[in-house]
Amino acid sequence: MQVAELEKIQAAKVVDARGTACPGPLLEAKKAIGTVPVGQTIEVWSGDPSTKKDLPKWAAKVGHEYLGAVEAEGYDRIFIVRRK
Amino acid sequence: MAEKMLIFCGSDQPEKAFPPFMLGCGALATEMELTLFFTMSGLNIVRKGGAEKILLPGAPKTLPAFLQTVQEGGAKMIACSAAFPVVGINEEDLIEGVECGGVATFVIAAQEADVVLTF
Repeated sequence: MQVAELEKIQAAKVVDARGTACPGPLLEAKKAIGTVPVGQTIEVWSGDPSTKKDLPKWAAKVGHEYLGAVEAEGYDRIFIVRRK
Repeated sequence: MAEKMLIFCGSDQPEKAFPPFMLGCGALATEMELTLFFTMSGLNIVRKGGAEKILLPGAPKTLPAFLQTVQEGGAKMIACSAAFPVVGINEEDLIEGVECGGVATFVIAAQEADVVLTF
């Protein structure tokens, strides 16, 4: 998904995991995805450079949909749709 | 059936004591079943008051916090009773939620695991 499209997304839940290093953002994402209904999107903020590589792999493995990531100032915004 | 990860925790050196929990959290997040097997000085991780003394500056969580995270995630934790005399502990010295096991427990868990890691 293009950055412009990602920026329009209204996530059902935004998780600020910027204060935590790997595996913190992954654990926050896992926790957050369970709190939104299937079909809804979560947005994870992370300052750890690995998160935008890890979360797509995690989403593919466990059956959620990774939409993409947007670079913000000093952190990444990562969008994932709950699919199960 | 869920894939299984078994991690052999054989040391209380911070560089070896922390990675099993960091990787184990990842295993739980990807819906794997996780078993941690503690032996030799690794038993100090699950000894009452032991994890508090193992410090790794810069790690994302403390070791007690990692223990809590993996326990909440459903990890099974096994303490190797064969090594109890080596480190001078017994079953009563272990934190709650840790069960005792021997060599057979480890070998069978290893046979059944999809991934085995050693630290």
